[in-house]
Amino acid sequence: MLDIDEALRYLGASGADEALRQRMASVARDAESRFAPRFTYRVSGVEHRSEGEWLSDVQLLLPGRSARKMLAECSHAAVLVCTLGLSFDQHLRAMQARDMSQAVLLDTCGSVLVEAGCDAAEKEIAARFPGVYLTDRFSPGYGDLPLDLQAAICQLTDSQRRLGVYVTPSMLMNPQKSVTAIIGIADRPQRARIRGCAYCAMKDTCALRKGGHSCDD
Amino acid sequence: MTIDRQKLIFLDGAMGTMLQKKGMQPGENPELLNLTRPEWIRDIHAAYVEAGSNIVYANTFGANRRKLEATGHTVEEVVGAAVRNAKAAVGGHALVAVDMGPLGELLEPMGTLTFEEAYDLFAEVVKAGAAAGADLAVIETMTDLYETKAALLAVKEQTDLPAFVTMTFDENGRTFTGCTVASMARTLEGLGADAIGLNCSLGPQQLLPILQELCSQTWLPVIAKPNAGLPDPVDGHYDLTPAEFAAAMKDAVAAGVSIVGGCCGTNPEYIRALHEAVKDMQPGQRTYAEQSFVCTPTNALTLDGLHVIGERINPTGKKRFQQALREDDLDYIVDVAIQQVDAGAAILDVNVGYPGVDEVAMLPRVVKKLQAAVDLPLQLDSTNPAALEAGLRVYNGKAAVNSVNGEEKSMAAILPIVKKYGASVVGLTLDEAGLPKTAEQRIAIAQRILDRAVSMGIPASDVWIDCLTLTVSAQQDQAVETLKAVQYVTDVMKLKTVLGVSNISFGLPNRMLMTQTFLIQAIRCGLSLPIVNPNQKEIMDAIAACRVLSGQDGECRAYVDRFAGEVASKPAAAASSLTLDEAIIRGLRSDAAKLAKDALVNETELQLVEGHLIPALDKVGVDYEQGKAFLPQLLGAAQAAQSVFEVIKTSLAEKGGETVKKHRVVIATVQGDIHDIGKNIVKTVMENYGYEMIDLGRDVPPEVIVKTVQEQGIRLVGLSALMTTTLPAMEETVRQLKAIDNPPYIMVGGAVVTEEYAQRMGADAYAKDARAAVEAARRLLGGN
Repeated sequence: MLDIDEALRYLGASGADEALRQRMASVARDAESRFAPRFTYRVSGVEHRSEGEWLSDVQLLLPGRSARKMLAECSHAAVLVCTLGLSFDQHLRAMQARDMSQAVLLDTCGSVLVEAGCDAAEKEIAARFPGVYLTDRFSPGYGDLPLDLQAAICQLTDSQRRLGVYVTPSMLMNPQKSVTAIIGIADRPQRARIRGCAYCAMKDTCALRKGGHSCDD
Repeated sequence: MTIDRQKLIFLDGAMGTMLQKKGMQPGENPELLNLTRPEWIRDIHAAYVEAGSNIVYANTFGANRRKLEATGHTVEEVVGAAVRNAKAAVGGHALVAVDMGPLGELLEPMGTLTFEEAYDLFAEVVKAGAAAGADLAVIETMTDLYETKAALLAVKEQTDLPAFVTMTFDENGRTFTGCTVASMARTLEGLGADAIGLNCSLGPQQLLPILQELCSQTWLPVIAKPNAGLPDPVDGHYDLTPAEFAAAMKDAVAAGVSIVGGCCGTNPEYIRALHEAVKDMQPGQRTYAEQSFVCTPTNALTLDGLHVIGERINPTGKKRFQQALREDDLDYIVDVAIQQVDAGAAILDVNVGYPGVDEVAMLPRVVKKLQAAVDLPLQLDSTNPAALEAGLRVYNGKAAVNSVNGEEKSMAAILPIVKKYGASVVGLTLDEAGLPKTAEQRIAIAQRILDRAVSMGIPASDVWIDCLTLTVSAQQDQAVETLKAVQYVTDVMKLKTVLGVSNISFGLPNRMLMTQTFLIQAIRCGLSLPIVNPNQKEIMDAIAACRVLSGQDGECRAYVDRFAGEVASKPAAAASSLTLDEAIIRGLRSDAAKLAKDALVNETELQLVEGHLIPALDKVGVDYEQGKAFLPQLLGAAQAAQSVFEVIKTSLAEKGGETVKKHRVVIATVQGDIHDIGKNIVKTVMENYGYEMIDLGRDVPPEVIVKTVQEQGIRLVGLSALMTTTLPAMEETVRQLKAIDNPPYIMVGGAVVTEEYAQRMGADAYAKDARAAVEAARRLLGGN
């Protein structure tokens, strides 16, 4: 079941009254029964080169400090595309013509659902590589990781054919509820740089944290 | 070209997989290899012919102008070289197809590429292929029926080549855009494809059930060109060996597939194994039932019972509808459509013929607009053949046409269009001699229309007959004649019948009783497609009852749902103490509309707006600003206000007065940006403060915005941008707008826009949300 609190938070309506919460729950139930996220990914070796992190098997260069930091301890990385599909967009468009108020609820549920799809992909990847540790998932646009990597990621995963995911010339994903992401794979526990200290395996021993900082500062 | 369905035809396997093996680098343009590595291409084709392929696909999958633009080579150059390479390689031992895959950009309404642009792009490719000597055209790996239609029309109109069309389906039996097997089969068959089928997506085992369904949905030869199983996501390798692939393909041939090959992950070994495995097989017997059918891509409607055609999209006698047409207010037409969908219509009749309206331009626009918002098949209703053709051309799916009649002139003008676009058609039983007097005359005209349609290749199941309802108070003897004709056309001619029923009661008291009674009698005689106003409860009640009596409504389920719900909801009508202001604040649309109607007895339209509507909206707006109400509630109130506005507009239209709108505001999502829900939210809220919103849509070039502002003397423009990559387009739009004489005010907003950005780019206001946009508009324009 989709997380209603999460959905309300996405909408900026954490203080919603019971009526609005009920409406969100009902839209969420309907959305879940209609739309299932789909994903595809590729796993590649990582070479730490001076010009950036080189994903050798898929021939993708991740330049910049953010990727360096995230993948510093990784021997491999998974490149992921996840989408809710075009039928969600069609449904959302029809809903906008019918009832804009319901449409914003649906839009929010779509965002939550596609993130849940990424979680499922992450679980699958973790299951394929037992005994290793995954970094937090990060996407083009995170830190200094260029947004235009989205096109390359979609191309190397053949996402247009496999998932029906397109990238427009201005680097927008189409269908709207689509995500590209990178997950590092390492042989030792990884800091929860993005999800935050509460999720981090090192939270009890972390020197940064004791000093009032975090590794994503 | 008629292809023998009993004869197996072998296609080739993957091109991309083979090119990678030859040394193509990731990211390299495969089609350019036709020019730079012709020997690779020829080797691959020759290997497939040697393995048993009767048809090879030239290396033109992505050779369209959009994808070649960056390479400096023309379509003619690349496609010409590809076809020549293939012809040289096969040496007359196989046929060569010019191959067209998806354009790589989504078509409207999902993307921004127009149907017409897509057509032009495909036309270039297929013309170049034909000129270079291709033997046939292949359209493959399609997921969007609309794009597929554009490609197929291009083949049919620009060349004489036979067309093979394959789409890519998912395990759930739909394409990524939700297209069903039946919609695909019957739309493409109607448009004149020579063979249809499936390629890519999955392995042969997973595709089998979908192939079986396809074989039952078409009389055309069926193609199967699956992948070599499923890829392992970790390394991208496919899981079937040539022998396993070939063994699985035997089931497809046994199901009736007669044209076979391979897609991703296959190579000549797979084709050789496939050839060995099935070459002595006879494709399995197929059963195909001809059916009356219309569809959208996602809604396949087999007409095997009683289905309602909604008649409300029609300006005749409706002042508010006429006003919407004059003001180019297509949102109103969408609202009329949505009401009919909710009321239970299965097909929507679409008539936009009105003096002063250019139907040839308007009908296709309305078709596109409706198809973006509602998922019912449309029946295009016009007396203008050019308008019908323009509408059918851009329709996505299989539509119906209303109507042809028994006049020679009508049949000669309408039926060729119906045939070309694979539509269904309503045959009106009148002719040069005027209205028929007897059932026999009606039947004779019906037979004439049917014979002519069938002689042109239109299936009898696509001809629906309208036996004409005449007004019973004027011509009392005619009601029985109509019913007799309906009975005959149904029982003897075995055709579907259409009837606009409400005309029967014209001029009589208690019209509803008369209409309802006639409807029920006509249904008893076999009427299958009544054209009615589905918003009339009594009519839909009668239809619900008839469906029970005929057995269409199994276990009376729909009937029980319809009326059980009604009893339960009655006590909720304790809305008597509800005020108009409260109804708006709580977002109760129908209550607000009803209370507005009541209020108009004592108040003027303007008092309603200024005394109730705006104060109520402001109340919610303030709550929203203070975090006591949230976006859905703000929008709910806006929509309730919208329903009040609709009451006001209708009231004014009836009086022939002007609307109460004050300022006109242009709103657009800037060029390159396709996500427009934020812009739509602002539009919804501002409309209900009385602003007339001119919505230019998304991905709007600066020039279009400037032109609209200049032509219409607009004083305020709202621009939205979602991505950092589209901020430059926003800046450019602001720059161009500020450069014109007497420049308009500009307000900007969207996920990545900030107050500082707004100031820096020279905008007059930054609106962080819809509520702020209203405030900005008030400040800049004054009033409201």
